[in-house]
Amino acid sequence: MGEEASEKQKEFESEALVHLDTLYNVALRFTGNASDAEDLVQDTVTKAYRAWDKYEPGTNCRAWLVTIMRNTFINQFRRRSKQPSQVQFDAVEDTSVFEQVQDRDPEGSFFRFIVDDEVKQAIQELPEEFRIPVVLSDVEGLSYAEIAEILDLPVGTVKSRLFRGRRRLQQRLYEYAMEMGYIR
Amino acid sequence: MTGFIRDFMEKMMPQPGGIDCGGVMAQLYEYLDGELDDPATMEKIRVHLEKCRRCYPRYNFEKAFLHFVSDQGHASAPPELRRKIFQTLLEEEGPH
Repeated sequence: MGEEASEKQKEFESEALVHLDTLYNVALRFTGNASDAEDLVQDTVTKAYRAWDKYEPGTNCRAWLVTIMRNTFINQFRRRSKQPSQVQFDAVEDTSVFEQVQDRDPEGSFFRFIVDDEVKQAIQELPEEFRIPVVLSDVEGLSYAEIAEILDLPVGTVKSRLFRGRRRLQQRLYEYAMEMGYIR
Repeated sequence: MTGFIRDFMEKMMPQPGGIDCGGVMAQLYEYLDGELDDPATMEKIRVHLEKCRRCYPRYNFEKAFLHFVSDQGHASAPPELRRKIFQTLLEEEGPH
């Protein structure tokens, strides 16, 4: 083994491994637990490294990596669990939380009282169809076009899943805030 | 000014920004996400939100929600995973 890291390795570290937190975060949302998430990140990184000559420098490395992760997840991990069912429309998506709180807390101050673990839990409870777009957009800051490419969906579908996912997440956090007495 | 007169005056006034509340609400997330391609539409919505006392609080609430999710939802890769990944890369390189 050479003393010095190879050029490929250096390049991979500076362009791909800077996105390790994103990969871990997204893997957690895909798998729902830390141990599977670590396996998924490892598999993704190994595949990406082997395919590094197919990556075009200067293009969107983060989206490229997340696409590899998504495919890896579908091919390897999902077999272990049940296929997700098509998500039915839920009446919860009909009303926005704002309508329910506008007289008591129109600025949404109650969000600030909700602890990190509770938010992660609420995100995890979203059906996968909504969870992944919400995480990619709202936590990782990816654009609709990037998410559409990663998930192989039309942009319009990404928009509607984000809308529905956000409504469900808001409602879940609102119910939690009510239970905890952060909002009356 | 009584509520009645205020409501009446609002009805008589042109829609702020030249866009109605329904149009603003339908594009609110795209506006907040910076996903509107047309600068003219963005400007219409911006002006509308500045002046409309019905739409502004909704916008403000959704903005608070999105900031909250982006602040809270992060997880960092554990150091042990980082170490394992560097190890994997070394192994991938194989003996020289």
